[in-house]
Amino acid sequence: MKTWHRFAACIALGLVGGAAYAVHQVRGGLSDGMVEIGPWQTGKSFGTVDASALTRAKVALSGLLALPAKEAMYFTAKNDSDGRALDGRCTYVVRGGKLDGRWWSITLYEGEGWLVKNAANRWSVPASAVPVDEAGGWSFTVAPSAQSGTWLPTGSVPKFDLTLRLYHPSTMMIQSPEKAQLPTIERKECA
Amino acid sequence: MMRRWLFPIVAGGLVALGAYQATLLATPYALMQAAMNKIGDRGPENQFAFSPMTTAANQTIVRPSPDLAYAACAFNVSKGPVLVDVQPVPDHYWSVSIFDARTDVAAVRSDRDTKGKAARLALVNAGQTAPAGYEPVRVGYDRGLVLIRILVAPASTFPTIDAIRRKSTCKQV
Repeated sequence: MKTWHRFAACIALGLVGGAAYAVHQVRGGLSDGMVEIGPWQTGKSFGTVDASALTRAKVALSGLLALPAKEAMYFTAKNDSDGRALDGRCTYVVRGGKLDGRWWSITLYEGEGWLVKNAANRWSVPASAVPVDEAGGWSFTVAPSAQSGTWLPTGSVPKFDLTLRLYHPSTMMIQSPEKAQLPTIERKECA
Repeated sequence: MMRRWLFPIVAGGLVALGAYQATLLATPYALMQAAMNKIGDRGPENQFAFSPMTTAANQTIVRPSPDLAYAACAFNVSKGPVLVDVQPVPDHYWSVSIFDARTDVAAVRSDRDTKGKAARLALVNAGQTAPAGYEPVRVGYDRGLVLIRILVAPASTFPTIDAIRRKSTCKQV
C-alpha cells in the first residue's frame, strides 16, 4: 500500500467516524449542563449563548426554538419514577402539587418530539385541566384507552416521553432546578 | 509496519476531531435553516405566518405545544431593520422571541415585561439604528425567526385570540 493510500484511508475514516460520533451524541441522552429531578431532566442553558455546541445541537434537534429559563423551563421524562422507559401500552398516574411558576402544561411526544395521533385529539394536560384538592395536589392518567377523570392518551406507541413546560418560573426554580418538587410518574398495569 | 501507519493514524484522529466539532457546530444552523424554509413556505420573508392550533396532523417544528397559538416571521435584516409590532392579548400569557440563525435567543418580551402593553421591537444588525418608538434588538446574523406564543386556555377562546394576534406585524423598513 502506498503512503498516500494509508493517509486517505485514515482521513476518510476520521471524517466519517468524527461526524458519526457527533450525530450519535446529539441523538443520545444526557448532555453537559443537564439536571435530573426524579424522572425529569432539564438543561440550564437552553436558548442562550452560554450553551455548549453539544447542548445547542441537541436542543436544535429535539426542541428547536426553546426559550431561556427566565421565560420558560422544559422538563422531559423518558422514564417513570422507578426508572422504567415510558411505554404507550401501559397506564400511568402523574401526580403533583403546586408548581413554582405562572402556568404549566404536560405534553406527550413520541420520537424526537412529535405529537401522537389519538382518537381523542388530546396531546397535553394544562394546569387548567386538572382538579386541585385542598392541599394543592392534582393527578391525571396517561393511558392507551379512555380513563375516568383527566386522561392523556398514549396512542399505544411503544415509547413516548412527557415534557413539562413551566412558564415564568420562580427565581428559586431557575437557580436551583434540582430542588424542584416535580410530579411523580407511577406505572400501573400494562396491556 | 507500525511506523508506516503512525502518521496516517494521527492525521485521521485530528480529522475526526475536526469533523466531530464541525458537525456539532453545523447542526443548529442546518435545522434552523430547515425551519426557516418551512415557515418561508407559508408566507414571504419579513411577514408573520399565523398557524392554526397545533395537532398531530399539522406539526412543522419538533416539540410543539398544543396549548399555544404560534405566529412566526422569517426575518432578514440585510436590506434594513425589521420592525416587529406585537398586539397584546389581555389576560393571557403571550411572548415574542427572536432567534438568530444559530438558534440563540436575541430577545424575549412577554406580557409580564410590557405590563400588558404592545411589544415594539426593531431588529437591527451592527450598522443599523432603530426608528424612534422601537426597542432595538441587535441580531448577530441577518436572518432568523421571530416567534409569538399565546396561551390558549380554554380552547374555545382561540377565535378571539386569533383575531387579536393577526393585528401583529413583522415588516422591513
